[in-house]
Amino acid sequence: MTETLLWVLPLVPTVTALLMLTTRDRRILSAIDVCGSAILLALTLVLAREVAKGGPSALGLLRIDDLGLVFLLLLVVLTLAVSIYTVGWLKQAVAVGNMRAESLRSYFALVHLFVATMVVTVLADNLGVLWIAMEGTTITSAVLIGYHGHQHGLEAAWKYIIVTTIGISFGLFGTVLVSAAAAAHGAVGADAMSWSAIMKIAPMLNPGIVRIGFIFVMVGYGTKAGLAPMHLWLPDAHSQAPTPVSALLSGVLIKCALLGIIRFQTIAAAACGPAFPAEVLLVFGLTSVVVATPFILAQNDLKRLLGYHSVEHVGIVALGLGFGGTIGTYGALLHVVNHGVTKALAFFAAGKAIARYGTRDMRVIRGLLAVAPIGATLLMLAALSLAGVPPFSIFVSELMILRAGIGQGHWVAIAIFLAMVVVIFAGLLHHVGAMAFGEPTETATREPEAWSPLLGMMLLAAIMILLGLTIPASIDGLLRRATEIVVG
Amino acid sequence: MSAETVRTIIDDLGALLLFTMILILAAGQIYRAIYAVAAQSLLIAIAAAVLATATGNTDLWVIAGITLTVKTIVLPWVLHRVVRRMNVRREVEPVIPVAATLALAVMVVVMSFHLSATLGPVNQAITGNALPVGIALTLLGVLVMATGKTALNQMVGLFASENGIFFTAMAVTQGMPLIIEIGVILDVILAVLVMAIMVLRVRSTVDADIAGLDRLRG
Amino acid sequence: MMTGERSLGLLLFEMTFLVLLGPLVTGIIQKIKARIQCRQGAGVLQPYRDLAKLFRKGTVQADTASGLFRLIPVLVLAATVAAGALIPVVRAGPPSFPLGDALLLLGLLALARFLTAVGALDAGGAFGGMGASREMTLAPLVEPVLMMVVFSTAVAAGTTELGALAAQRGTSWVLAWHAADFLGFAAMLVLLPAETGRIPVDNPDTHLELTMLHEGMLLEHSGPGLGCMLLASHTRQIVTLGLVSALFFPIGPANGADAAGLLLGVGAFAAKILVLASYLALVESSYAKLRLFRVPQFLGIGFVCALTALALRIL
Repeated sequence: MTETLLWVLPLVPTVTALLMLTTRDRRILSAIDVCGSAILLALTLVLAREVAKGGPSALGLLRIDDLGLVFLLLLVVLTLAVSIYTVGWLKQAVAVGNMRAESLRSYFALVHLFVATMVVTVLADNLGVLWIAMEGTTITSAVLIGYHGHQHGLEAAWKYIIVTTIGISFGLFGTVLVSAAAAAHGAVGADAMSWSAIMKIAPMLNPGIVRIGFIFVMVGYGTKAGLAPMHLWLPDAHSQAPTPVSALLSGVLIKCALLGIIRFQTIAAAACGPAFPAEVLLVFGLTSVVVATPFILAQNDLKRLLGYHSVEHVGIVALGLGFGGTIGTYGALLHVVNHGVTKALAFFAAGKAIARYGTRDMRVIRGLLAVAPIGATLLMLAALSLAGVPPFSIFVSELMILRAGIGQGHWVAIAIFLAMVVVIFAGLLHHVGAMAFGEPTETATREPEAWSPLLGMMLLAAIMILLGLTIPASIDGLLRRATEIVVG
Repeated sequence: MSAETVRTIIDDLGALLLFTMILILAAGQIYRAIYAVAAQSLLIAIAAAVLATATGNTDLWVIAGITLTVKTIVLPWVLHRVVRRMNVRREVEPVIPVAATLALAVMVVVMSFHLSATLGPVNQAITGNALPVGIALTLLGVLVMATGKTALNQMVGLFASENGIFFTAMAVTQGMPLIIEIGVILDVILAVLVMAIMVLRVRSTVDADIAGLDRLRG
Repeated sequence: MMTGERSLGLLLFEMTFLVLLGPLVTGIIQKIKARIQCRQGAGVLQPYRDLAKLFRKGTVQADTASGLFRLIPVLVLAATVAAGALIPVVRAGPPSFPLGDALLLLGLLALARFLTAVGALDAGGAFGGMGASREMTLAPLVEPVLMMVVFSTAVAAGTTELGALAAQRGTSWVLAWHAADFLGFAAMLVLLPAETGRIPVDNPDTHLELTMLHEGMLLEHSGPGLGCMLLASHTRQIVTLGLVSALFFPIGPANGADAAGLLLGVGAFAAKILVLASYLALVESSYAKLRLFRVPQFLGIGFVCALTALALRIL
């Protein structure tokens, strides 16, 4: 049963994408979109239940275990939310002229192809397939980023594809090195690239070459994940893309790259000892957090602000993985989920605000509460959550990561981390508060809020608050088992 | 043929690959860079053929064939077409002077050899000098992408980088599975197509000179 | 090339042979260039006629030139011919008495270059000064590369003495080429136009101030002095070509018989020189002269190739 699901799961979004090409009507396209995402979610939940009962299962080049399941669930939930959101957002975008009605079907098809490549990334057992799927996500998302067709979008898409392809080349090189190390120990053919097979012989691998391979992979997949100093493409790409695409990029894609890093981290920890990958992750994580902060403060563009936030939060996840141990890793994985949900919510709310005011400049957007009360509230909730305020989910995961750091004794890192978080909290509140309160700008449209974007946003907000108040037993169990896979 | 002969041939091919890489770095006109990268891909195809006859791994024959058709003929032809349509004739000064680029290249080569010298035991898994040459080619390809001022220079750098990775991957004694190699090549093709389309669209709105694409700041 | 020691007599023969053959090589290059450019061109022996004409003429010297100026041509010729003594022409093997190695050869060539520049500066003319400064600008780019190429081939043989180096290489030159040799040879190909003063680095056919490096330094010499300088530049050319052939293609007949072996060795050497000379002629006909500030970029390619060759050998 699970084996069948393994190859069905990537097929579902692919078939959805192909179906999109059959019609031009916006409503039918949206309907196919939502249905496809809902089916994907349902199948994933079935798969999750099977894995919870029976443990990991594999089929050729694909494999599912609890670690992958965490990311997969994030992916499909966000896909559904994006589909629901797109219904209302698209209607407004077509009316304004941001999206051309003739090319809608290619947009939807590309989005689902993008989702399909991400599914393969998460399910890949073979490291080469992981790489190929990553490159696939780059190609599909590059086209999506430049979708609006204007000059800034094309520039962002070009930067994106160049920088991430350079990065992924490093990742490929690291993959080849690790597989060479495995081949030197007798792993033959496909086994030399299979994560599960390598993990079995990992303690015997030559530590020198795994070390260098891991660094290459860190730089490579770290570029895709948005770790500093390879993050330069991220603010441009995430801000220029259409809002639903931004949500997917920030919410899921960078997390899939993190999954790639985690897979190699487990190999490196087994071969060279856990201290080495932990140190590398700490360095990159801390750099990301520190580099992102000044740009968050001095930002005028709302979506770029959110892009830099993604850099910071990916840095926090890397910090969590770097601190290590059960608590650190659990916190990091929880943060992956929390940040994904919250960031998507933030992008949704920002997208509605931008559509309403016709500009991304935060200095122009004023008085959102008066014009769109529910949207404004959700935006403020998302912003508060991103800043790490209880009772939202990000507070919980950040607290766990902090606790892990203190437990390991990384005082300097903790101090810097806390300082940055405080600064970001202040900055974010300043920005969002200015946007929400006050007299509304004249250019704001006064139309009532569309229901479908609100529905999508409230779904995410509900998850966000739920995870902030308590972690349900099933999710807790899933995270615990995933942590075990990483920590070993 | 004996392992010793294979080793020598791979070493020689590695030196020639480095030479083509230097030509790409020092190329003034984009045409020279395209021809150099096509020559490089040809050398990779020859290397694949040599390794195929030595190890008897039939996958490598397929790789050689695909590399020959796709990366030596088709993709440079695509680049050539894009160059002609864009009508770029003048020599473009790179972001940093050529002399500095060449100096960096030398440092990269020395560093790669030093790096692989510290990886002793794995050299049994990779034939001959392929590992340091592979690292050097990959990093130099990235250098070309980073210092290239026009979009086409960056694409040429991407090819060169992939060549380096391929060279190392082929020389890993047990070989990478065929599906992986084909998948990688497919990805490169798609990426190039997407980039070519983007370059043509970018040209229609702005100058193709990437240096002009700096409006997104902060 | 036959191996074995080279006696004093053989050395003197080789040296004379090189000096006598030098102008012929220049003549051949000019002829090939002319043919490629669809001209008849002057005869192959024209440089000899030019030298004979110059040696018959009287000397005219600038007022500002000192006594050193009259000595310079002789010193330059002496240095270049002495360099020629170090090249194994007919037989590959060390000389029977300690003579010098490749470093000495490069040093002698550098000394010749330096003396030429000093002479040009001594005469006090504007062209001389300019030519001298340009030549000296290029010298630091050319000479280290030559040394690196020599080192990269010498590391394998364990000696820098050219005769012994050529003997070590043996006759199976293609298969014995290490990976580094490809790069070293590429570097030498880049350097040959620079060292022999040909396009794309320098134009040997004109005396225009825009194009000259080497010719500018010769401008103030006249009569026998100019003849000596010209002969020195012919010899320098053939010495450089001989260096390339000794480092990379030390092939030739391997028997030990004397007169026939000598002839065969001479023939093999002449054939190799002919090939390299054709290469120079082709390059001259195919490219335009580079602007002076682009020459370092061009030579940089040679530099990187040589450095990589050295790295490949040592690492």
